[in-house]
Amino acid sequence: MEHQTEKLKIEDVLREKGVYIGPTVGVSMLPMLKNRRDTIVVKPKIERLKRLDVALYKRGEAYVLHRVLEAVDGGYIIRGDNCYADENVPEEAVIGVLTEFFRKDKHYYCTDKKYIRYAKRRIRTYKLRRFYLRVKGGIFAFGGKILRALRLKK
Amino acid sequence: MKIKNGFVVREVGGESVVVPVGEMSKNFHGMINLNETGAFLWKFFSVEHTVDEGVAALRAEYEVEESIARADVERFVETIKSSGFAE
Repeated sequence: MEHQTEKLKIEDVLREKGVYIGPTVGVSMLPMLKNRRDTIVVKPKIERLKRLDVALYKRGEAYVLHRVLEAVDGGYIIRGDNCYADENVPEEAVIGVLTEFFRKDKHYYCTDKKYIRYAKRRIRTYKLRRFYLRVKGGIFAFGGKILRALRLKK
Repeated sequence: MKIKNGFVVREVGGESVVVPVGEMSKNFHGMINLNETGAFLWKFFSVEHTVDEGVAALRAEYEVEESIARADVERFVETIKSSGFAE
């Protein structure tokens, strides 16, 4: 597309309109939000966020949308649903909170019971998923070594 | 006139907002709020139609005078074209 618009500042939109509605970018919130397919609805942060909330915060000039694991003094411990590292995010970096989203064309509210069950499950199964990934990574690495050894023999 | 592919209209809090998806979201970073007529015309022109067809559709939907419907459609089409959203 030849037409290109300036990048908007989401904090300005939140201040002026009270809501930001836009596309998702990235894979860190998979399987809930798919890159450039789904739509997020974010409202300004008006109170402290709590566990399971999805925070929109700034990391430098980049916007990040990840889930709150715990509210701590001065900020939050946050992690993307598809990430394997926690991040300490200061309170002042958080500019908004996810309130609704469209997954494909289906509209979800973050107060939906089904959604809350998903969010809890995602956090609960974190260690299991991390273990699975490590085992899978180990198997691939081991398989790779064998393949390389076999090629060298030939 | 036809609006380019790569946009979806989302209804949030009783308002219609156009959001880019896929490749389009790499180039378009704005947020387009539509009123009721705008949302109707956006959906109508997501498929190839002429201005006259747009006027007829708007009149059928809202039962308005032809001159009012034509002014609305022409303004909408002009905005879409000048914003680079038309194919």
